[in-house]
Amino acid sequence: MEVSKKLVNDLAPQKFGKKGVIWTTFLVIVSIVGIIAYIDQVRKGQIVTNMNDYALWGIYISNFVFFVATSFVGAVTVAVLRLTKNTWRTPVVRIAEIISVAAIIMAGLTIMIDMGRPDRLMNLFIHGRMQSPIIWDVIIIPTYIAICLLLLYFPLLPDLAILKKHFSKINPKLSKWYGRLSLNWTGNARQTKIQLNSIQIIAILTIPAGFMLQTIDAWLFATLFRVGWDSTNMGGYFITGAAVAGIGALVAVVYVVRKAYKLENYITEFHFDKLGKFLALACLLYLYFNINEYLIPEFTSKKEEVTHMNLLITGQFAPLFWFVQVGGLIVPIVALFFKKGRKPLPMFFIGLLVVVGSWWKRFLIVTPTLLHPFLPVQGVPESWHHYFPSVHEWLITIATLAMALLIITALVRYLPVIPIKRTADEQELFETEKKSKS
Amino acid sequence: MEDNNKNTRRKFLDKGLKIGLASAIGSIGLTKIASKLNAETKSSSEETMELMTTDGTIIEVDSSEVEEVKDIADHETKYRLREGMPNRKFVMVIDLAKCKNALKCQASCNKNHYITGEHAWLKVYKMQEDEDTAPYWMPTTCMHCDHPACVTVCPVDATFKRRDGLVLIDNDRCIGCRFCMAACPYSTRVFNWEEPDYGEAAEVFLEMHGADQPHNSIEYAGVPSKIGTVDKCDFCPHKIHKNEVPHCVEACPNGVFYFGDKYEDTVTNGAETLRLSKLLEEKDGYRLMEDLGTKPSVYYLPPVDRLVDFKEGLNFYKNFNSVDKSDY
Amino acid sequence: MKNMLKYRFVFLALVGVFLCSGSNSVYAQNAKKHSVRMKAYYTKIMDSVSFFKVTAFSRIDKENVDISNIELTFYNELDGEKIKLGTATTDMHGECKFVLKNLNEIKPDSTNTYNIDILFKGNDTYKKASKSVSFKDASITAKIITKDSTNYVSATLKDIATDSVLSDRLLNVQVQRLFRSLPIGKEFNSTDENGTVVATIPDGIPGVNRNLTFEVVLKDSDDYGTVMALVNAPLGTPIKDESTFDERTMWSPRDKTPLFLLIFPNLLTFGIWGIIIYLIINLFKISKSKI
Repeated sequence: MEVSKKLVNDLAPQKFGKKGVIWTTFLVIVSIVGIIAYIDQVRKGQIVTNMNDYALWGIYISNFVFFVATSFVGAVTVAVLRLTKNTWRTPVVRIAEIISVAAIIMAGLTIMIDMGRPDRLMNLFIHGRMQSPIIWDVIIIPTYIAICLLLLYFPLLPDLAILKKHFSKINPKLSKWYGRLSLNWTGNARQTKIQLNSIQIIAILTIPAGFMLQTIDAWLFATLFRVGWDSTNMGGYFITGAAVAGIGALVAVVYVVRKAYKLENYITEFHFDKLGKFLALACLLYLYFNINEYLIPEFTSKKEEVTHMNLLITGQFAPLFWFVQVGGLIVPIVALFFKKGRKPLPMFFIGLLVVVGSWWKRFLIVTPTLLHPFLPVQGVPESWHHYFPSVHEWLITIATLAMALLIITALVRYLPVIPIKRTADEQELFETEKKSKS
Repeated sequence: MEDNNKNTRRKFLDKGLKIGLASAIGSIGLTKIASKLNAETKSSSEETMELMTTDGTIIEVDSSEVEEVKDIADHETKYRLREGMPNRKFVMVIDLAKCKNALKCQASCNKNHYITGEHAWLKVYKMQEDEDTAPYWMPTTCMHCDHPACVTVCPVDATFKRRDGLVLIDNDRCIGCRFCMAACPYSTRVFNWEEPDYGEAAEVFLEMHGADQPHNSIEYAGVPSKIGTVDKCDFCPHKIHKNEVPHCVEACPNGVFYFGDKYEDTVTNGAETLRLSKLLEEKDGYRLMEDLGTKPSVYYLPPVDRLVDFKEGLNFYKNFNSVDKSDY
Repeated sequence: MKNMLKYRFVFLALVGVFLCSGSNSVYAQNAKKHSVRMKAYYTKIMDSVSFFKVTAFSRIDKENVDISNIELTFYNELDGEKIKLGTATTDMHGECKFVLKNLNEIKPDSTNTYNIDILFKGNDTYKKASKSVSFKDASITAKIITKDSTNYVSATLKDIATDSVLSDRLLNVQVQRLFRSLPIGKEFNSTDENGTVVATIPDGIPGVNRNLTFEVVLKDSDDYGTVMALVNAPLGTPIKDESTFDERTMWSPRDKTPLFLLIFPNLLTFGIWGIIIYLIINLFKISKSKI
């Protein structure tokens, strides 16, 4: 079961070239600027944001929801495709797992930015009430972080052993680290048995955990009275939305990594074609929930629903709403129907469009509802009737996105983005089948 | 093969039990250590304190034996602050037929709770359901709901519902997540986005109101306000202790606010004292957003047989302002 | 002779200078000092204490300002003589209460009227002031009577000195409540020729342990001040505590979480974490099985 040298050379992590270094430095600078802005926020209070007693949740929360949604890609790609025996997923699963880990870790950090008193974080654990949806969130996020890490780690073990050998002469120090992390992997029967058994368990566990995570996120809104949130649709709406956001992110990252590491032979146009169809399926499901959410209330035209609809469809948020729905959902569906649309470069742009649309979609879920409460908005300054994030909010939010990309970059730099051992096994299987046929 | 399985299973159970036992003992040990560290043990020093006994004699007691009692049973008020006064259920009745938007209620509440933000706790809304229906002035306070949405969603028990019906906030525990604000359908909660600015009076004011006595502020909200936490109308428990009605009830020149104990079936606006049940029956009292199931403690009497024209209140109407900062 | 005149002249001049300077300073102080007004009310509670409630205020810049922390001295005025009774200091709101445990502490004049003087001797900011309160001693005896299964509060108003009933006086009959007492009976209860009022006690007034305290009050009369009689009777309906504080609800503190939320999420959490720990143990196992 020797893995071919060519395979290892192709898939092993390589040093960053100039582009990689510039990219990483840029991300680090953006992150530092954001951290400085956050320290300023802690010192002065959240008055530095443009939030007020009506727009009481802004892009901090919508950014958090976006991260939670994107972390669904692990559950969807690795677990769902695995259980439906879609074998083409092999080259992209590692990237999916990496995105999941980065997104869910950043989700956990991002939510703390929105706290008015982050110094009292421990109160959540000392005084937590199980009746509160926030506590369900506090439980499920660390759980999902653990699951994502395990989902990344178990299949990684053989690859780490391979990399240890690969770097033993080129970079002995790095080789030692790979060795330690590989947990003495030799690929013997016992280890393989435990590993395969564990992968089966974690892959199955990821699905209910991922579904619970998205549902609890949806219930942060569905358990409240507000128009636009008080919807029985929310659970399915968030789950399908997460699938869209996750797969969109996957497509975009896969394209970049493929180009950077020159993996055209491993992630072929066939894989993009399959991913395109997968994304189209997710978008169609999401469209179904969007129709239920935004079109059907027009039928009964209840006063409060109409206020909400008008705000989105023709009012203050109309340009954003139509960009998100058409650009972020309809255009991808239409483009992905065509074979040409499922080629790598168009897929990259579609992926980016989907991700940007997903980010702004969460903003449309969080803030517009808050701007039309049950009682009229009176007795407060005129600026409180609108919301657009302040400089602090933008700097901090962009920094969290940069940090997520930084985590992805770091993992992509040091881990094989395509599972080496698995690819080798599949190639061998393919060869054996070919031989047996001839 | 089967033997191997049995062996691995036994080994697993064995290991599992050992780890389980170890973690149980470990966690018990950790909690013991944690509680010891948290306990208010002043190390035995030579320090003594002077205390006065109930018959007036002064004695000297070793400092290490004196323990600070926090909120267990407030000696002044004789009930747990989070539990509330026994055998009482406070309700308010607001007579919309009498409200002329004089805004004296808002001014008194702002002044007595030292509200320094942009958002008053008591707001008088200019209401009109439809162009064909008549406009009216509607003062709103916190409804102190019996099924409070805000309390249900608070993750840290910083806002709580008491036995006497009051929903109060512990500003020392609030983490500022604003979930309660999102949950409240009456938009009655207010957030302290920045450090409250009491102006020149700050030093004197904070000393006067014991900024170093955090537990008292549960019953006298906003004094002082704490940055990054939520505030709202508290039905003035500090006034109830003195058998006085809340500031808004006192300040209203038109007798709009009635306040009382539902269990006593009596409410008063200072001038009139009436049976609550009779008042609600005769004047068709109702509650705001009843169908949401929040069970508010504030009843409204519909604006019928009005004594004053609605338009007179427009002189005082300020759409973009509810706190006048000139007092600070 | 001339010397003596000179001395007298000098002496007079000196006295004149002192007087002028003295009056100058008095004048200067008067120019700055504000005048004090007082409101004083006498209340007598039957079979209990009597007290004076005094509020001191001053009109500064067209606004009434409460004068806090000043000492007021109470005197019993009798035939031109003032007998000191005690002092009281005003609080934050300019109010003070002076209690007389027993009416025997003070003496009435020949018309059976008690005369009390309240004096404020003045300070740097305020001029001295005085207020007098005069009152005669009256009594109200109140009791509960039942006729044809209806309960009534019956009260008789008497002037103690002449031991005669007082008729055609308005008495308030009310039930003691937390903030203000709830009136019962007719809107205007006047004492009849026997000095008595009778007020019907309505059904359905709640009371702790069915206990109700009834007050019969002669309020702010010119000659007798305020006189109040109290009578207790278990004629109320019992108070039922309907609060959900002791139940397990969605809005309870965490020691009273609903059982479903206590059991199900914890089961799920520990179940999932159990599997996670099992998987972590698997990692250790992998690490150990090198062969």
